[in-house]
Amino acid sequence: MSRLRTHGLTKRFGGLTAVDDVDVELGDELCSLIGPNGAGKTTFFDLLTGVLEPTEGTVEHRRDGEWHDVTGAPPHETAARGVHRSYQITSVFPESTVHENVRIAAQAAGDDSFTGWRNAGAFDRYLREADTILDRVGLADRADRPARSLSHGAKRQLEVAVALAGDPDVLLLDEPNAGVSSESVDDIIALIEDVATDHAVLLVEHNMDIVMNVSDRIVVLNRGSVIADGTPEDVRDDPAVQEAYLGGYEPGALDATETDEESTDTAEGSA
Amino acid sequence: MALALYPGFYTLAVNSPAGAEFVTVLPRVETMIVVLYFGLFAMSFDFISGYTGYLSFGHAVFFGTGAYTVILAANGKLPLVPTDTPFVLLLVLAGLLAVLLAVAIGSVSFRLSGVYFAMITLGFSQVIYVFVRDWDYVGSNPRDGVSVSFDTHPEAFEVGVPFVDALGLGLGKLNGDELALGVVDLSTVEVSYYLVGLVVLVCYFAMQRIIHSPFGKVMLAIRENEERARAVGYDTDRYKLVAFAVSAFFAAVAGGLFAGYSRAVSPDETFFFLVTGDALLVSIIGGFGTLAGPLFGTLFDELFREFLSKEGTGGGLLPYLQSHLPQGVLEAVIYNGMTVGEAVDTFLNGHASLFLGVLFVLFVLFVPGGLLGTVRGRLGGTASKQVAARLRSAGTNETSGGAASEDD
Repeated sequence: MSRLRTHGLTKRFGGLTAVDDVDVELGDELCSLIGPNGAGKTTFFDLLTGVLEPTEGTVEHRRDGEWHDVTGAPPHETAARGVHRSYQITSVFPESTVHENVRIAAQAAGDDSFTGWRNAGAFDRYLREADTILDRVGLADRADRPARSLSHGAKRQLEVAVALAGDPDVLLLDEPNAGVSSESVDDIIALIEDVATDHAVLLVEHNMDIVMNVSDRIVVLNRGSVIADGTPEDVRDDPAVQEAYLGGYEPGALDATETDEESTDTAEGSA
Repeated sequence: MALALYPGFYTLAVNSPAGAEFVTVLPRVETMIVVLYFGLFAMSFDFISGYTGYLSFGHAVFFGTGAYTVILAANGKLPLVPTDTPFVLLLVLAGLLAVLLAVAIGSVSFRLSGVYFAMITLGFSQVIYVFVRDWDYVGSNPRDGVSVSFDTHPEAFEVGVPFVDALGLGLGKLNGDELALGVVDLSTVEVSYYLVGLVVLVCYFAMQRIIHSPFGKVMLAIRENEERARAVGYDTDRYKLVAFAVSAFFAAVAGGLFAGYSRAVSPDETFFFLVTGDALLVSIIGGFGTLAGPLFGTLFDELFREFLSKEGTGGGLLPYLQSHLPQGVLEAVIYNGMTVGEAVDTFLNGHASLFLGVLFVLFVLFVPGGLLGTVRGRLGGTASKQVAARLRSAGTNETSGGAASEDD
């Protein structure tokens, strides 16, 4: 069942067209969005969640079998409708505990947030939801630590955990592996495959091995436009994609370049 | 709380053999009243600025609104409000007027953030300050302020249950109530101290409760990462506006207490931007982003000012040195014909603000968490919880130690 679709979605910044006439439909699947740096992936996420308003085109979200136009709805509204995102550069609540990070996100989905006279600890359902999610992402043992004290890999897990809270039906994950060392990548891959079982997931990822292994479907963006959309096999064999991005991908052949990419990502992460 | 016993302790200390030393060091009970109501104002300032991260640099406008509401109502100059309205209701009314003002100011100001938010709120408060300063409706000489007329409101402002005279006591140094409880006689100032303290305590608990509620948690989330707070589904503008209105309410109650106690207010003590500056200063000294911190900061500030003040305003270092140093020392020449006595006068007379400024710089550099923030950082949690936990663990250690020795 489709959850989210865009029609002719376009975003121009002055003379630059960052996202150009994109028609994408996302169903209950794990769909990867790939493309070279600057292809417009993050801008596309910003358009879907309402951080940016599109220049042209529409974004629609299906809930209870009916399509709703959510074009340009502010981020808190798209989140309340069930479209949640994670960030490429970790964006959590650094001074709060890991548990509170997830609890506050779970609370956003309820309607108790204007309650000013009862202790936040009295609202069991958010506490329990946070516990469940932390179990799922494997951070339960660090629940009481402040988020800033986590390692980079654990912060990336928390990033996904915060997006998971509040029972979304669409998850937009922006490079959940950014800057994660190769040992910890497997944890996050397992987590993504796990959440894809009960959410529609749109994943931005640069590591081709991961993309080819986990995706049900791949959408390739280049200079703002969709140049391919299909199963991993189709996309791999598409000459336009090979031209623009993959450079003749063979499984495992990217290992050498991967290490380079990781080291730059780590530098970005720590900056 | 230790503050509850302060007036008794002060009386005992001052009348003890070391009375002169205690007068020098301890703040007067009058000063403690200032600590209480200004501490409440600083707490309300910290409620919005420290907990959501939006520096409300025009917060004095709400303090002023509270103060002027009480005075104008008592003078019969607020339409539809009779002059004999109970003081407690006036405080609530003042708070509600401040809430309206905060919604008006906030709905414009929250379009901005960071230093621009601070500047626009400052702008609003200065506009209102200038307006009140020249508004001759409040009194014949609005620049110098206005006092409660004894014609329209001869009795003291009463803190207590509205409309039940027996359950209320009057505020004020001159026409407040005295109270005899068995062996303890409380003067008007001491009664006022407890009454103001009672209102401040109620307000503190109310704010404390909000901070720990789901709403308070959203405020913290906004401070830590507003973009993410919005992304998880909070309409942060609405939360900020409500938080701003709540803090304005308590700021107005603080202003109302000030007016009720002193019976006279001036624009410079209420609406002026340096009033907010003082709140910021004591919040940083006490601990920004802790609710009780600003109260301790105010205590520290007032204590320090009084310690360095001149004769007749609570005693302090200067009069103490002048009257207690031997004549020979005072007349001794230090340098180029300047005697010790002159040096003491030069450095200590009226320079409290100078020393306080230096102290403030040192605080920002070396105690960035403020008094309370640093204590919590050292203990690893709020002081009350940590002290309790240590006492408990000390208790268990003793018993286990005892059990071990029995085994031997």
